[in-house]
Amino acid sequence: MRASVWNKSPDPGTGGRSAVVTAVGDPAGGAGPVPAAQGIDLVKTYGTGPAEVHALAGVTVTFEKGRFTAVMGPSGSGKSTLMHCMAGLDQPTSGRSLIAGMDLTSLDDTRLSELRRDRVGFVFQSFNLIPTLTAAENITLPADLAGRKVDRDWFDHLVIQLGIGKRLRHRPAEMSGGQQQRVACARALINRPDLVFADEPTGNLDSNASAELLAFLRRSVTEMGQSIVMVTHDPHGASFADRVVFLADGRVVAEIGKPTADSVLERMRTLGA
Amino acid sequence: MRRITIKGLLGHKLRLALTAIAIILGVTFIAGTYVLTDTLHSTFDALVGTIYKNVDFQVRGVAQFSAKNAAAATRNPIPGSLLTTVRGVPGVAAAEGNVSGSAQFIAPDGTLISNNEPTLAENYDPNPKISELRIVEGRPPATPDDVVMDAATAQKYHFHVGQRVRVLLPAGTQTFTISGIAQYGTASTLAGVTLAAFTLPTAQRIAQENGQFDNIDVVTRPGANTATVERGIARVLPKGAEVVTGQTVLNEETSSIDQQLSFFSTALLVFALIALFVGSFTIFNTFSILVSQRTRELALLRTVGASGRQLFRSVLAEAAVVGVVASAIGVGLGVLTALGIEELLRGFGITLPAGPLVFQARTLIVSLAVGIGVTVVSAVGPARRAVRVPPVAALRDLHAGGGDVSRRRVLAGAALGAVGTVLLLTGLTKPAVGITGIGAAAIFIGAAALAPSLSRPLSGAIGRPLARSLGVAGRLGRANSMRNPRRTAQTASALMVGLALVAAIAIFGASAATSATSSFDNAVRADLIVSTISGNNAGNISPALPQALAAIPGVTAATVAYSGQFEIGQSVEQLKAVSTPALGKTIILHLVHGNIGSLSRGDLLIDLTTATSNHLAVGDHVRGKFALTGWTTIRVGGIYQPNALIGSYLVGGAFYRSHYADPPPGAVLLDTSANPGAQRAVEHTIAPYPGLQVQTAGQFKKAATAQINQILGLVYALLALAVVIALIGIVNTLILSVFERTREIGLLRAIGMNRRQVRTMIQTESVVLALFGAVMGILIGTGLGVALVSSLHAQGVTTTTIPIASLLVFLALACALGLVAATWPARKAARLDVLTAITTD
Repeated sequence: MRASVWNKSPDPGTGGRSAVVTAVGDPAGGAGPVPAAQGIDLVKTYGTGPAEVHALAGVTVTFEKGRFTAVMGPSGSGKSTLMHCMAGLDQPTSGRSLIAGMDLTSLDDTRLSELRRDRVGFVFQSFNLIPTLTAAENITLPADLAGRKVDRDWFDHLVIQLGIGKRLRHRPAEMSGGQQQRVACARALINRPDLVFADEPTGNLDSNASAELLAFLRRSVTEMGQSIVMVTHDPHGASFADRVVFLADGRVVAEIGKPTADSVLERMRTLGA
Repeated sequence: MRRITIKGLLGHKLRLALTAIAIILGVTFIAGTYVLTDTLHSTFDALVGTIYKNVDFQVRGVAQFSAKNAAAATRNPIPGSLLTTVRGVPGVAAAEGNVSGSAQFIAPDGTLISNNEPTLAENYDPNPKISELRIVEGRPPATPDDVVMDAATAQKYHFHVGQRVRVLLPAGTQTFTISGIAQYGTASTLAGVTLAAFTLPTAQRIAQENGQFDNIDVVTRPGANTATVERGIARVLPKGAEVVTGQTVLNEETSSIDQQLSFFSTALLVFALIALFVGSFTIFNTFSILVSQRTRELALLRTVGASGRQLFRSVLAEAAVVGVVASAIGVGLGVLTALGIEELLRGFGITLPAGPLVFQARTLIVSLAVGIGVTVVSAVGPARRAVRVPPVAALRDLHAGGGDVSRRRVLAGAALGAVGTVLLLTGLTKPAVGITGIGAAAIFIGAAALAPSLSRPLSGAIGRPLARSLGVAGRLGRANSMRNPRRTAQTASALMVGLALVAAIAIFGASAATSATSSFDNAVRADLIVSTISGNNAGNISPALPQALAAIPGVTAATVAYSGQFEIGQSVEQLKAVSTPALGKTIILHLVHGNIGSLSRGDLLIDLTTATSNHLAVGDHVRGKFALTGWTTIRVGGIYQPNALIGSYLVGGAFYRSHYADPPPGAVLLDTSANPGAQRAVEHTIAPYPGLQVQTAGQFKKAATAQINQILGLVYALLALAVVIALIGIVNTLILSVFERTREIGLLRAIGMNRRQVRTMIQTESVVLALFGAVMGILIGTGLGVALVSSLHAQGVTTTTIPIASLLVFLALACALGLVAATWPARKAARLDVLTAITTD
């Protein structure tokens, strides 16, 4: 299923990182800094023949470093599939996805695991934490999986920023949904990833907890220079982002910068029509 | 409800299949045992029937000992002149005298031919009216040099008529010419027994019964009144001889075979039951997990109106279907396995006769009943839990729980364990195998009930070093093993039973070995021991040999030891004897009362235990009966510390020889002051006797230990099945856990856990489970072993040894087994598709 034409033809035989970086410099246009992540002509097809469904029908998108991007779209628009393909959780049918210039389609399972561990952070809608581990253990899990020492200062900084200092010894079952999501944020950031993927992170939270979490994500971009991609269907949530990318039927259909809840809603209305 | 049961079965095919394996293995063992022993039974019976087919009466010596505990009757030979007398009785058509002893063929390469069965020496009986023995090639023995060989031996070792063959006889080896080859009816051998048939005088010489017979077989004239003939024969018999019907002899032979076979089948059935008992833990566990995983489904059924009784029946029906299918497969495999066990036993050197397989209705009924019964009974507990699921659970988000350990359960477990311990100790002291077994089972069930409360601390402690050395994957594995204490405990309990038995046997073996060594050290001072080798059925130490050995330069003392039976105080006991000169150089006797010198005066020495239980003191007189000489009064001349090697009764060599007919020495003990030249000379002296060996004290002890270890090996092999079933239980639990934790494993993979780490996580959990079971098992097993050993004190197992090294090996083995059990679940977990895993509910 996987179309390997794309990643092989431009630069046959080179799997190295620098080679890939130069290879992808062009489609991104110009010789600026390497973006946090890029999707190039991503196609994801389920089924064959008449039952064929295009979850992604050729998406090319760039997520810059130090920016907070929201991905929006009606259900079935392919926003989750895009995230899965770009985060190395799923293989696109064709096209390439790159994280910090590294072509994911060329990586084997072990390398992909390493990439997710070291270069990507995840916050899912629910079930983010391992029930047998305490909050602190959950946060350091990616570092522990790498067998790396945890940067104590960074850990403390995250804990203070998220206000979870009193919960560190608790297990997920003993925490509220909002607390669990904040622990998940700390876990996503502990390895200072190139990019954090947040998949409807506030989907199960009440409005207060949502606001706190979104404020934190915003701060982590502004103050700590993080790069975040957040899949959401909440216009208010999207308003925390620097930029909103709209998807429909597996294609990028619109994009707005410096969004507000109203501008997002407005755009949604026009797209929905 | 029936549809729900069927859907349930189909929905958990894999789990139920794994459960079924436990039942299949146990039932296979039971059915296999029955088929095997029934087959052996019918084969042996047919053989015995063949031998006594034509015999109407047998004349023989009366049984000498009236005590009931004698394994086989001891009879004196009857005078040869009786044959003519019996032939003269009216109505007797034919009568032939038999004499049988032991003679062992020596293969061309010098090895003694033995199938671990008797090596018979007989007079060739020429009367076809009586004997089924038929010459198939050559001719009957005519000269003292002739021998007739059984067809099976001839075939196996490529002997042919006219060939010379060396034969080991009690007095040494002699070369004979094979005059003929014979078989019994159509059978080339009697169950592996080798036969050497000679002329009557040669057979009598070999059996040391010159001019005598062991018995006379009688055939009556057609139409003769058998009762009259029997009375006629009885009338002419001297005192000490009796006449019995052929049927009596046949029954005696058959019942002695039955006894041996029933011991054999009981032993195998015990192991089959152990396997099923372990299997019942696995079944209990599987159904518990199924019920807890289906909590929501069951609650939903309650909500829509299913009664508790219907749910109960539905779970039990599921168990019954598994039981029926598994038992049926087990019976089928059992028949195949019967053939396999036969091969296995052959591998351990036990020869079994060949015959058509016997499949009795009883085999089918018992196998099905036990298999289905165990499955259904094991599922009762989980089924009751299913009934207790409240309808409201359908609405709650209950995660597969079962972590709570109720106080009642702990109390019940402790009580059951206590009752079990009492039963076990009672059973061991009686001794009664049944009570001991029930006691052990109660202890295991009690321990299994207590295990959940131990599970968290114990698996935590076991997992700590693993977690420390294996990083976060190890930590997660350890945490997972502590997650559901009840499940962990149930899974580990199966292995606990297996390893407890293995540990108990190991302690028994080690204790038996050290006891044997220490009784040797406490009884023998000699440097060299001359004795017959194992596998030598015929060759005795010739009465002249001790003198020859004593004459060797460097040999400073030679003691001849004998062993025989006599009747004392209404029981048949073993009597040991030693020649008295220079006894102190070869034998150690710790006398409590009296003196060793009384042995040479013809006194009896007894051990302290016997003296105490029979209220005997030095100077008392006791009456003993000897087969040859009848009742004799003997004076108790001394009382010594009990020693298994010496036994309870000891007399001097001169006394012994006067009460037994030409007794062959059992061993010659030599003192050489550790002179190596003397040892070589001894070896040289016994070189002409292929059935003899000389061992140093160290070699003798090592051989005793090796023999015990061989038995241990057989028992371990039989227990291995129980351990395998326990392993299947671990695989089952792990697979269920992986299935339950799909989402979690997906998350771990998403945030960067690689496949190797996933495998490590599952393997750690598995190893912790296995070690948990092993630690509990070894602890309980140590208790069982110590209890077993102390109950065998009177049987000579006097020292309790706990083989720490073996127990550590078992732990290491449990570790390895844990890894093996994890293989498949770990693979399954590592192969989970990340995206599918994180998107499942």
